[in-house]
Amino acid sequence: MKKINRGTVAKILRYTRRYNPLIVLSLLLSLVCVACNLYIPVLAGRGIDAIKGINNIDYDTLLYNIGAIIITAALSALSQWIAGNVNNTIAFRVVRDVRNDAMKKISSLPLSYIDSHTSGDTVSRVITDADNFAEGLLMGFTQFFTGIMTILGTLAFMIRISPRITPVVALLTPLSLFVASFVAKKTHNMFLAQSRARGRQTAHIDETVANHNVIAAYGAQEKAISEFDEINDEFARASLRAIFFSSITNPSTRFVNNMIYAGVALIGALSAISGSSPITIGALTAFLNYSGQYAKPFNEISGVITELQNSIACAERIFELIEADSDIPDKENAVNRADIGDDISLENVEFSYTPGRELIKNLNLDVKHGEQIAIVGPTGCGKTTVINLLMRFYDVDSGAIKIDNIDIRDITRSSLRAGYGMVLQETWIKTATVAENIALGKPGATREEIIAAAKSAYAHSFIKRLPDGYDTVISDEISSLSQGQKQLLCIARVMLSLPPALILDEATSSIDTRTEIKIRNAFAGMTKGRTSFIVAHRLSTVRNSDKILVMKDGRVIEQGTHTELIAKHGFYEKLYNSRIS
Amino acid sequence: MKRLLRHFRGQALRCFLAPLFKMIEATFELLVPLIIAQIIDLGIAGKDKEIIYSRSIQLIILGFVGLLFSVTAQYFSADAAVTFVKKLKHEAYKKIQYLSFAQHNEAGTSGLITRLTGDMDSIQNGVNLTLRLLLRSPFVVFGACVMAFRVDPVSAGVFIGAVPLLSIVIFGIMLITIPRNRKIREAVDSALLTTRESITGSRVLRAFGREQAQAEEFGVKNGVLTRLQERTGRISALLNPLTCMIVNTAVAVLIWLGAKRVDAGIISCGAVVALYSYMSQILVELVKLANLIITLTKSFACAGRVADLLDTQPEEKPAPAGDRDNGAFIEFDNVSFAYSGAGEPVLKNISFTVRKGERIGIIGATGSGKSTLVDLLAGFYNPVEGRIYFEGRDIFSCTDEELARRIAFVEQKPAIFKGTVKSNLALGKEDAGEEDIRAALGAAQALDFVNEKENGINAVTEQGGRNFSGGQRQRLAVARALVKDADILILDDASSALDYLTDSEMRKAVSALDYSAVFIVSQRTGSILDCDKIILLEDGRASIGTHAELLESNEEYRQIHLSQFEEEGEAV
Repeated sequence: MKKINRGTVAKILRYTRRYNPLIVLSLLLSLVCVACNLYIPVLAGRGIDAIKGINNIDYDTLLYNIGAIIITAALSALSQWIAGNVNNTIAFRVVRDVRNDAMKKISSLPLSYIDSHTSGDTVSRVITDADNFAEGLLMGFTQFFTGIMTILGTLAFMIRISPRITPVVALLTPLSLFVASFVAKKTHNMFLAQSRARGRQTAHIDETVANHNVIAAYGAQEKAISEFDEINDEFARASLRAIFFSSITNPSTRFVNNMIYAGVALIGALSAISGSSPITIGALTAFLNYSGQYAKPFNEISGVITELQNSIACAERIFELIEADSDIPDKENAVNRADIGDDISLENVEFSYTPGRELIKNLNLDVKHGEQIAIVGPTGCGKTTVINLLMRFYDVDSGAIKIDNIDIRDITRSSLRAGYGMVLQETWIKTATVAENIALGKPGATREEIIAAAKSAYAHSFIKRLPDGYDTVISDEISSLSQGQKQLLCIARVMLSLPPALILDEATSSIDTRTEIKIRNAFAGMTKGRTSFIVAHRLSTVRNSDKILVMKDGRVIEQGTHTELIAKHGFYEKLYNSRIS
Repeated sequence: MKRLLRHFRGQALRCFLAPLFKMIEATFELLVPLIIAQIIDLGIAGKDKEIIYSRSIQLIILGFVGLLFSVTAQYFSADAAVTFVKKLKHEAYKKIQYLSFAQHNEAGTSGLITRLTGDMDSIQNGVNLTLRLLLRSPFVVFGACVMAFRVDPVSAGVFIGAVPLLSIVIFGIMLITIPRNRKIREAVDSALLTTRESITGSRVLRAFGREQAQAEEFGVKNGVLTRLQERTGRISALLNPLTCMIVNTAVAVLIWLGAKRVDAGIISCGAVVALYSYMSQILVELVKLANLIITLTKSFACAGRVADLLDTQPEEKPAPAGDRDNGAFIEFDNVSFAYSGAGEPVLKNISFTVRKGERIGIIGATGSGKSTLVDLLAGFYNPVEGRIYFEGRDIFSCTDEELARRIAFVEQKPAIFKGTVKSNLALGKEDAGEEDIRAALGAAQALDFVNEKENGINAVTEQGGRNFSGGQRQRLAVARALVKDADILILDDASSALDYLTDSEMRKAVSALDYSAVFIVSQRTGSILDCDKIILLEDGRASIGTHAELLESNEEYRQIHLSQFEEEGEAV
C-alpha cells in the first residue's frame, strides 16, 4: 500500500477549508440518514409483530409503526438529498478552485517547464486528475463515513434485537469482502495484461490506419491484416480472461451472502421456537434485512480506500503543477521596452538546455536599429535557441543580451515581448474565428484594421473564400487550412500589431516561393526602420540581410554579409551553392 | 445492424444459454422469500424443527446451484462477447484496409481508429452486459410481481402501483440527466481545449502578452462547467432518496394491507414477510436495469457506426475505355479531378504523354494540385473526367494490385512503422536481401546514419519513426521505394526536409537507377530542372515543357525560378 503523503493532505485541507461548515453539515445529514435507514427495518419488524393472526391484530401498534416508517423514510430521503447536494457543491467547487489555480500557474510557467513536459500530461493534470481528486476524495470521504456509521449502527441495532444471532451476521458477512478482494487481486494482473494487449492493438491500428496510403501504395494490406489478426487474437484471449474472472465477483459474493442469509434464517427460526428468550418474527425479518444490507458498507469501504489512495495520488500530480516554480518575476524597477532605444547586443552569451550539454557558446552580436539579421545553418544548430533567448523564453546562462545597453533581465517581460513581432515555423492557431486569431495581439482592433493586415499578408483572398469569411471558426486540429495558409494568418497577426522589431523563424517555410516574395516585399515595407531577425533555410530569402550568422553545432562559425561570406569560401558558400546541382 | 448479428454465428448456443442460466439463478432468488415464509408459517408457528432444518438446507442448495449457473452464464456471455467482437474487429479492419482513398478521407482517420478501438470496446461491453443482465433484471422485477400475486393478489396491487412509479422516477431522472451530462462533457472538452491551447500556444500567447487573458478565459469556462455540474447534480441526487421513499411507503402500505388480510384469515404472517422481501428485491433490480440501459444506448450508437462502416461498398472503378497504341508509356488525356465535397476542380483538362525512360518534374504553388496529379497516376483516386493510359491500357482496367506492384510511391509525409529499418524497407518486397537494402539506403543517402545506429539495418524504428529526424525519415521512405521491384518511381516532394546538398546527391543516385519513368514533385526548380519534361501546375492547369522552354515562355515558371535563384545568370 502506498503511503499517504502528509504534505499533500495538508494542501488538500487548504482547499477544503473554505467549505468546512458544509462538510460538517454533510456529515450530520449522513448520520441522520444512516440512522433512519437502519431504524426502518426495526419499525417494519414491529409492525409485522403486531400482526399476530386471525382476529388478533394490534391495530394501535400497527398504525403507530406504519406512520413512523413513513416519517422516518421521509426524513431519511430529505437528509440524503440535501447531503448529496452539499457534497456535490463541495466537490465541484474544490475542483473549480484547484483548476483555476492550475491554469493561472500554466500562464506563468517558464518555457523550460512547458518544453520538458508533454502537453497531454499537463492537460490531464488539470482536467482528469482534478476530477479524480475531488470526486474520489470527497465522495470517498462521505462514503467512508456513512459506511462506518452503517456498520456500527447495524451492529448496535442487531445486538439490541438479539445478541445471539448478531455474531452470525457480524462475523460472517466480511467473508464476502474477502472473496471480493481475493478475486480482485487475482484479476488485477489479467486486467494489466488486457490493457497491455489493448495498447499494442491501438498502436498497430493507429499507425496502419493513419498511413493507409503507404500500405495501399505498397499493396501491403494482407500483411497488415495478418499482423492485426495476431494482435487481435492476443487481445481477445486477454480480454476473455479479465472479463470472466472479474465477473465471478458478483456471483461469489452473492453466494456468500445467501449462505449467511440461510444461516440467519436457521438460527433465527430455531431461537424463535426455543424456550428461553424467543425472538419475534418481526425481529427475525429485521435481521434478515440487516444481513442483506450489512455486506454493502464493507464492499464500499474497501472500494473507498483504493479510491482515496488514487485521489491522493492525483492530488499530488496536480499540486506538483500548481507548485512548480513560476518564471522569475520582473524586477521592481524594471524598465519598459517602449521607453528605450532599439540597438540590440548579445555579449558573450552562453546557454544550454540541459546542464553539461552546452549549446550556445560565446555568442557576440551587435545589431543597430533597422538592421536585418539572418541566421542560417543546418537543422539543430541552435538557430531557434537564439530566438528563445531574444524573447526571454529562456534566460542566458552567462553573458547578457542588452537593448540600448540595458540587460533584458531589467526590462519587463511583457514590454520586451511586445517589442517583437514573432512568426514561427510551427504555426499556432487558437480555436476561434479568423478575425479573433488575427487580432490576437491587439484585441480591440477594428474589422478594417484586421482586413488591412490580412491583405498585406496575402491572406485576404483565401479568407474571403472560407465559409463564413473572417467569422469562420478555425483551429489547429480540425481545420481545412493548409500549413502555408496558417503561416499567412500568423504573419497577418504581426502585420496588425506592428511592433518595432521582428522575429521570423522559418516563417515562410510552407509558403510557395512566389507568395513568399510578395510577403517579403510587404515585410520590407514593414522592416524599413524595424530591426529584424530572420531564420531561414532558403538562402535566397536572406541574402540581402545586413548580417548573416552562419551557425553550426551551437556556434556562430561565420558572420558577415552575403558577399563577404561567399568571398570567404567557407561553410556558407558550400550551403549556398548546394542549391544548384 | 443485421449484418452485425451474423457475426454471432457459432455463438448461438452460448447466447441462448447465458441469459437462460441467469434466469434460472434469478428464479432461485425469487424462491427464497417463499421458503422463508414457510419457515415462519410452518416452522416457527408450528414449532417444527424438521421444517426449519429442511428449508434452511433448501436455501443453501439453492445458493450453491445458483452460483454454478451464474458462473457458467458469466463464462458463456464473456466468451460470446469477446469472440463476437474479435470477428467484428477483423471484418472492420479488413474493410478499412481496402477502403478507397476517397472513402478513407470521408470517414477520417481518427473516426476510423475510433471505430476499431473505443466503439469496439463499447460493443463488447454492451454484448456482455446484455447477455448477462438485460433479461435478468426485468425478469426479477416481473417475477417478483408474479410471486407477489401468487402470495396474495390483493396485496400485490401495491406492486402494480409501486413498479410503474419507481420506473418513472428512475427512467425520468435518467432522461433528464443524459442530455445534461452531454452538455457537461462538452463544457469539460471546451475547458480542456483552452488548457491545451495555453500550453501548445505558450510561445505565441506570451509573445503577444495574452497568457493572462487565456487564464481568464479558462476561469469563465470553468465557472460555467461548475454551475452545470451543480445543477445536474441536484437532479441526479434525487434518485436514491425518491426511490427509497417510494419503496418504504410501499412497505408501509403492504404491512397495513397484509394486516387486514391476516385479520380476515386470508393470508399468513409469513406471507406478509415474503411480500416485504419481494418489494426490496425490485428496487435493486430496477436501478441495475437503468444503468444497463445507459450503457446499452452507448453501445448501440457504437454498433450503428460500425455497421455503417461494414456496409460501405467498395468503390467501383468506372468502365475502362478501349486500348490505344500511340507509343506513349503513360498518357493523361484531358484529365480533370475534384475532391468530393469541394466545388472547384483541383486539376482541369490535363493532357501529356510520357515516353519510356523519361523523367518528369512537377512543380507549382502550394495547393496547385501537384500531389493530386501523382495520386491519380498511382490510382489512389479516379479522374472525374478524361482518361489515364498506362502502356496504352486505360488505368481503370488495371487492378489496384497491379498498380501497387508496378509503382513505387514515396509519400510526402514519410510513414515509418514500428519495427526495424529492415522491416520498413522490406514493405514492398518481403524477401529483400541485405544487399538490396544496403543498395537502396546508399542511393537514398541514408546508409551513413543507419550505420551509425545500434544494430545498423536491424535498428529499431519506433512508432512514427520518432527516433529518426524528419530528413532521415524522408530518406528511409525513399529507400523503401527503391527496394521495391517497380518500374515507375514517384517522389512526392520527398526531399523537402533535406538540405540542398543531400537532395542533389540523392537525385543523382536515383537517376542512375533503371526505371521506365520517374516523377519528381517538388517546390524547388533546382530539383527538377534537368528533367525531360516539366509540368507546371497553376490553378489546376498545366503548362508543359523543358526547363529552358518554360523559362523562356512561362512567366510564372520564371518567377518561381527567380525567387529561388535571384540572378538569372546564376541559374542554369
